[in-house]
Formats: sequence, structure tokens, C-alpha cells
Amino acid sequence: MNVLTLNNITKYYGRIQALKGVSFNVPAGSVFGILGPNGSGKTTLLGIIMDILKASSGSFQINGQEPTADTRKHIGTLLETPNFYHYLSAERNLRIAAEIKGKGYNDIDSALTRVNLYERRTSKFSTYSLGMKQRLAIASCLLGNPDILVFDEPTNGLDPVGIAEIRGLIKSLAAEGKTIIMASHMLDEVEKVCTHVAILKYGDLITAGNVNEVLVNEDIVEVSAADLQQLETVLRGLNGYSSLKKEGQNIQLLYPMGTANLEQVNRACFSCGVVLNHLLLKKKSLETKFLELTGN
Amino acid sequence: MLHLLKIEWLKVKNYRTFWILAILYLLSIWGINFIVYSVQEKIFEKTSTSGDGSAMVKILVGDKPYAFPKVWQATADVSSFLLFIAGLIMIISVSNEYSFKTHRQNIIDGLSRTQFIMVKLVDGIIIALVSSILVVITGLFFGLFEGHTSVSFDHFEYILYFFLQALSYCWLAVLFAILFKRSGIAIGVFFLYTVILENVLALILNRAFPSSFFLTGTGNYLPIQSSDELMPFPAFEGLQRQISSPVNITVQLILVCAYLIIYFILSKRRFETADL
Repeated sequence: MNVLTLNNITKYYGRIQALKGVSFNVPAGSVFGILGPNGSGKTTLLGIIMDILKASSGSFQINGQEPTADTRKHIGTLLETPNFYHYLSAERNLRIAAEIKGKGYNDIDSALTRVNLYERRTSKFSTYSLGMKQRLAIASCLLGNPDILVFDEPTNGLDPVGIAEIRGLIKSLAAEGKTIIMASHMLDEVEKVCTHVAILKYGDLITAGNVNEVLVNEDIVEVSAADLQQLETVLRGLNGYSSLKKEGQNIQLLYPMGTANLEQVNRACFSCGVVLNHLLLKKKSLETKFLELTGN
Repeated sequence: MLHLLKIEWLKVKNYRTFWILAILYLLSIWGINFIVYSVQEKIFEKTSTSGDGSAMVKILVGDKPYAFPKVWQATADVSSFLLFIAGLIMIISVSNEYSFKTHRQNIIDGLSRTQFIMVKLVDGIIIALVSSILVVITGLFFGLFEGHTSVSFDHFEYILYFFLQALSYCWLAVLFAILFKRSGIAIGVFFLYTVILENVLALILNRAFPSSFFLTGTGNYLPIQSSDELMPFPAFEGLQRQISSPVNITVQLILVCAYLIIYFILSKRRFETADL
């Protein structure tokens, strides 16, 4: 059962194509990360789902149905920035949100407590710090206890404690069985809380799927010899590696995590008459994986 | 719609700028009439003490504009000079949403785009209605104060004309706010257009094309001018009759309604289809 299905969503801003036929599914109960560098189309994609942007073409379904305004009443969404009336208090701002969603005011106190804003509930929004604004936006998402939550950069502007709190909150929401769709440019954030991930780059969907499959780690064996040509021929004869890359004076062999064997590489080369002058095992970080996927 | 209006009420209930502007605006409706009343009172007073001047004045100026039943026309016309403030309140109400990005949040939280724009247009109707009620109260006040004639609701249609003009200002303001999004530019363009530019345009058009189809003065086809024409000030009518032909009320009314429909459709379509 998919909570969200995207079919070939395309979006033009004038001549700039912000989304290029993006399709993927968000399974129910998943914590789904949409990962990508700034300007990759994450917010545009979520904006289209929330009807504040119009797709140039393509369609999407929520819970298998064509979305309406009423569908959005049952989704808690934080998009891009916290949007509230500056001259109203936190409490009064949440009353407006609750009124629009058609929920009672009963949830307001508990939502404010959950994000540690209850003591400041009567302060005007304009007096809030960036982190407090962000937490108020998350409180607004929690009104009416929705089954789907959409967070766009949820830890934006928060201090390290706040970031840890929000991650904890997201995990506890996920544990309650809610589906969480989260856009982020922070890889460790996605790695720490997400079960699924889609990676966007300049509006292209690079890959989507289970987080362990997409962000799989690799071992890199870096070797070099006087005769690079001959070295390459020998290395290509080896088996077990997933890909081979030339990096300046070095050649890199990429192995699935934990399967690289330096001894074996060394022996194979030497027996073919190639003497290595450089042999190194590198652990690949998620960061490099992400940079590689997004081509930076 | 009542539920949508309740949400609007939550937005303005604790918004000081709105209440200060609204109260000053409503007081000014009485105030501007008081200024004009005092001026005309002085003219009539002076001429009545200087011998047979009063007869002259009566021929030139006509009956006292603040006596029943002319008072409806006088207060409607004089009060209409303040309508740009009603438009200002309306622009603030819409462009605030843009600057706080709450127009997005309202949609995200579950309003439809149509609901959002419709309730803003209904806000315009409410502002126009409240303005009209204040004009009626002001008219009654000055009519009774003048006291020479008994209360009469003859020519009460001028209050309807005032309402239509107030609605024109409000809906034009909504359209400008939706098109420009930022309050500064929307307010600037709205003021300059309604107060100066359209009048200039009307003068130029009237000069270039003195008559066209149904109206004398092509400028009278313009959006605000077309509703202005409905309410000439009730003085110097004898003179006015000499220099210009009478207002074609039917055509002006049709024009005003046509413009209202255009503002409505453009605002609605724009908000329903644009990226917010």
C-alpha cells in the first residue's frame, strides 16, 4: 500500500526545468527521505503535492486517490519556512491552523508541549527565534494527529540540542506508525532516521528505494604502478570488484563493503610482473557516496 | 462561508494595525463630511446676511446639499473621496498573507485555493457594506442637524451607488494585491492609479474623444470614473446642466457591474492557477 504515488511530475519555471518527469512511491509507514543538494527540486516537488505550485505535467495520488483540499487537512506539513501571522501569539496561530484543518483546539496544548513551546505560547510569533519558529511549525503539523507528515528541512535553524530533539520526535512519530516524508540536504539526517530515500539532482530522480540499498557503503582499493596501462589490464582480469575508476596516477577498485582483499590484489599484480608502488584501502563515507550520486 | 469568515475573524481580531486603520477610516467618513458641511454652511450664512445674495446663491448653488433628501447624494459623494483607505485596508489584508506566506500555509493546511480567494472577495463586500452603513448614519446625522426639512429617503439610491463604488475600490485592491503580491508596490500603484492617474487619463480621453457611443466623455468608461459619475456633488446643478449633459445612470451602472465582474473573475482565476 502506497501513501503517495508520483507519476512523471514535471515542472517548468519559465525555461528552467525544475523537475524532469519524477516518479516514485512512498510506502505506508515508511520514513521517506528526499535527498538532494540545494536547488535540486525537493521543495518544488513537495509544493506540487501541497497544491501551492502547479505541475507542468504529471499526476500524483495520495492514498490511491486524486488529492483534494480535504486530503491536505489530514496531512501535517512544514514546507520551506514556518509561515505564521507575525502579530499573533503561537497559540492564536495554531487556532487558525486547527480551524482550517477542521480540528478542535484540544490538541494545541499537547502539540506545544511536545515541541517545548508551551511556556512561550502567549508570546507573539515575531518575538520567536528561528529555532522556535521551526518548532512551532512542527507543532502545527502535529495538530489533529495526522497519519502522514511532510517535513521540508525540519532541522533548519535548530541548535544541536534542537536537532537531536526533532530527530527523536520524528523517530517516535515513525514508531507510532505514521508515514513521514522528509526533504533534506543533510545526508546524516536521512541516514539516521529514514527507511527509504529518493535522490534528486537538478530535477532528475537519480535513484529511489530502501535506504540500505541506495546508500550502500563500498570499499575502495587504490593502487598505482609505473606502467599504468599494464596495471589496468591486470586489474581488469581480477574478479569480485564492482567497478574500476582511474584517478590521476591511481586506479581505484570498488568492492562491496567488507569484501576487498589487499593481499590478493598485490599477489595478482606481482605474479603478472607488475610491481605496485601504491596500495591503499579506503573506507568510503556516505558523504562521498552522496557526492558521487549527485555528481559533485 | 461562515466558517471561512470565522477564520478571517481570527486573523484580524488581534491585529492592531487593522483596527486603528478601520476606526480612523470610519471616523473620517463623518469627519470629511463635517469639513464640507462647515464650508457650505459658511457660504450660505454669509450670503444670507448680505441682503439679497441668498437668492443669487440659491440659483447658482441650489438647495442646501446637507438637507433631506439631497443629503444622501452629498454624503455619498463626499465620503467616496475616502474609499482609497478602504482599498488600503483590503490590500493589507491580502498582501499580509503574501508577506507572511500564510496564503501558502492556509492552502497547505487544507483550504482550497477557491475558498481562500472567495473569502477575501467577501471581505471586500463586508468592508463596502460597513462603509455604506457609516455613510447612512452620517447622512442621517447631518440631515437631522440641518433640520430644515423632515427625514426623507428620497434619492436613497445614492447609497447603493456608494456601495457599488466602495466594492469597486475593494475588489480592485484585491486584484492589485494578488497581481503585485508585495504591499508596497500594490499600495503605491493603487493610490496613484485611483487618486491621480485615472483622473489624468479621464481628462485626456475626454479632451481627445469628447463623446463616444452612449457617454459624453470617453473617460467616463474608466473603472473608477464610471462609478464616480454616479455621484456628482449636489451643488451648482444649474451650472452643471449648462456645461455638460446629464449622467446616463443606466450605462454607468452597467459599466460598474461589468468592471466588478472583471475584477472578480481575474482575481479568482489568477489565484486558482498561479504558483503561490
